[in-house]
Amino acid sequence: MSNSAPRAPRRLYKGWAPYLFFAPFLLLTAVFTIYPLINAIILAFQQTNGPASRVFVGLDNFRYVLTDPTFYKALGNTTTYAFFSVFLQLPLALGLALLLNTEKSRAKGFFRLILFSPNLVGQIFVGILFGVLFTPRYGLINRGVQLLIGWGLNEQWLGNPALVMPAIVITGLWMWVGFNMIYFLAALQSVDKTLLEAARIDGANPFQVFWNVTLPSIRHVVVFVVVTSIIGSYQLFELPLALLPVTEGKGPDNSGLTVIMYLYDQGFSAGDLGLGSAVGWIVAAIIFFLSLVQIRIAQLTD
Amino acid sequence: MRATRGIEDFPYGKAPFWLMLGALGSLLLLVWVQLGQNANRPDLVLELSAPNHVIAYRTVAERFEREHGVKVALQLVNPRALTTRLQNSLLAGTEVPDLAELPIDAMRYFGRGPLQDIGFVDLTERLATQGYRARLVEARLSPWSKSGHIFALPHDVHPVMLAYRADLVEALGIDVEKLQTWDDFVAVGQRVTADLDGDGSIDRFMIDLPSGGSQGLSIVMLQRGLSLFDEHDNVTFNQPLTVDTIIWYLHQNYGEHRIAFDCGWGQPLAKAMADGLVLFYIQPDWRTHVTEMEAPKVAGKMKLMPLPAWEPGGRRTAVWGGSGLAITKRGKNPELAWQFAQELYFTRSELGKRFLDTNIIPALKDAWDLPELNQPNAFFSGQRLGSLYANLASQVPPLWSNPYTIIAEGKINEVLLRALEHYKVQGDRGLKEFVAQELDEAEAYIHRQIDRNVLSKPASSEQQAAARP
Repeated sequence: MSNSAPRAPRRLYKGWAPYLFFAPFLLLTAVFTIYPLINAIILAFQQTNGPASRVFVGLDNFRYVLTDPTFYKALGNTTTYAFFSVFLQLPLALGLALLLNTEKSRAKGFFRLILFSPNLVGQIFVGILFGVLFTPRYGLINRGVQLLIGWGLNEQWLGNPALVMPAIVITGLWMWVGFNMIYFLAALQSVDKTLLEAARIDGANPFQVFWNVTLPSIRHVVVFVVVTSIIGSYQLFELPLALLPVTEGKGPDNSGLTVIMYLYDQGFSAGDLGLGSAVGWIVAAIIFFLSLVQIRIAQLTD
Repeated sequence: MRATRGIEDFPYGKAPFWLMLGALGSLLLLVWVQLGQNANRPDLVLELSAPNHVIAYRTVAERFEREHGVKVALQLVNPRALTTRLQNSLLAGTEVPDLAELPIDAMRYFGRGPLQDIGFVDLTERLATQGYRARLVEARLSPWSKSGHIFALPHDVHPVMLAYRADLVEALGIDVEKLQTWDDFVAVGQRVTADLDGDGSIDRFMIDLPSGGSQGLSIVMLQRGLSLFDEHDNVTFNQPLTVDTIIWYLHQNYGEHRIAFDCGWGQPLAKAMADGLVLFYIQPDWRTHVTEMEAPKVAGKMKLMPLPAWEPGGRRTAVWGGSGLAITKRGKNPELAWQFAQELYFTRSELGKRFLDTNIIPALKDAWDLPELNQPNAFFSGQRLGSLYANLASQVPPLWSNPYTIIAEGKINEVLLRALEHYKVQGDRGLKEFVAQELDEAEAYIHRQIDRNVLSKPASSEQQAAARP
């Protein structure tokens, strides 16, 4: 009797213990995730002047955004960047990964570091660096292009609306190719070597081996990289901001404006958090839809 | 030994014990840091974004601390943070500095909502009763005004002149005294802009102008008396003179008779100056100091001249940039902040020293006779910089603040670039009509933005009051 008495409260405590230890996480999630999420939904239906004044405007914010030509310009620019991320950046990353995946390559580690290193310095640094490289007359890229094709010495890459997006794509390429290459390289190293060998014995050429054996083996990684690239592209913000400082990241004629920058401008620069919130929900819906399509395509090709 | 047994006896095990201890420790540390911060808070906090201003204000702050027995902190903050974050802090009720030196476009953030939402002390009355208003350049109060109320003290005037490579200009036989109007300037520019080595690329340009419009277009428009908005927040840019100015700007930057090149900023600009790629540069007073710092190779080779006028006898300057000192309503001691603001902006001896450090002439007119402003400047070939800029200061146009200024500037630049596309295909044929139509559309876009803002409409004030938390 005397032995069993202290065990009862201990069992009671043990019953509460999981909830007690779970409580800080739940509290933080409620304060920093669930509350902002609910508030963001409410905000999207209000017009605000910062956090002080709020007026309910119904669907006006969504109506405004969906009829604003600047939003479509931003969406077009971001989609262009996303397109080149998927169809230029990723094939290049995969190609480099295939090159580095050969067993003969002695300098594999060195090249892996070199190609990955742009990612270590951050988007602001890369943006500022390329801002200098694209300088008319004196920039390395201007001089290089002039040397190669006899054009472009005085060209304003960052001042000409037609050249701003190519400049951002080139900069993004330098920044992200190595990063995505690491994913592909890791996937390639896990491809079953006996399958590759069997294909070669059966007379498959290198392209057939890649198309019929390697690519299907790494398809889940490909889907993952494509989805994260699309999401990353639609979140593009710092890179154009650092590359185009004079126009605060927008470029001439809004040629470098991205959807997140549009959101930032409306929500924080103009102070209408309601409108910014509405843009945020629209962007989230677009990303969700694109990711869904991508995953569905991957499932269909399974 | 006893302690170890205690931990083992903890009902949920050892790991949860350490987790709880860690959480408790973090909490105590947080409370301690917070209490320490509150205890060490200075009596006055001034946030500003210009590094050279921090250096210039340090001696005033130290003297003020001694004389008043208080602690003053000068905090350097990124301009973007200074405006957007400060605005949100003011409105959200979180901690704010006592004073903030704001960039010229700041009122677009702070003036978007109703007048009572502006988080700064209204200085209109103080400036009038203490006699400062008459001593300041009136046009420089415009960026800090809303509906007739002034919310910051102007730090500067920032008249614009042209800096030029005097050695090259003289060698080319150009007499700057004869460049009285932009027509004179362009005529000479078309003569000297040339491909010197025959490689197909122009190697010498007359003037540095941003190709996308930006400040360059804004300056020539302001010089011509074209503002984006007036003091009553009316859109004023859509007029025939703007059409003419945009086409003029386009002709200087593009086509076979171009005379302008966009040198950009920093090193490329300094190299263009040193190489003589461009002869003339737009130069407000603050930029002369930047030029001295970044282009030491052209020291002694540069000179300044007023902007050529749009018509004979017309305005010879414009305005570019600026900052103003505002006192926050929710600051700890607004009266002490006002005293410090006066020390910073209206102490003559300090203004002279500050000019030597920054080349910026003050907005206080009676400081323009200070000996420091009349000293010869070796970098600019012995010219008296302060006097040159002060002589033009009275011509500086107003720069009315408006929440839609940035959008309007963007739209004007868009019109320029669309006009360029038209020009590339059709030349000058139909260009005037095209630009006029684009300006109509730009104005309509801005009106759409303004009409959407229910918070600043007087008619909706009751609705606003009801909506206020």
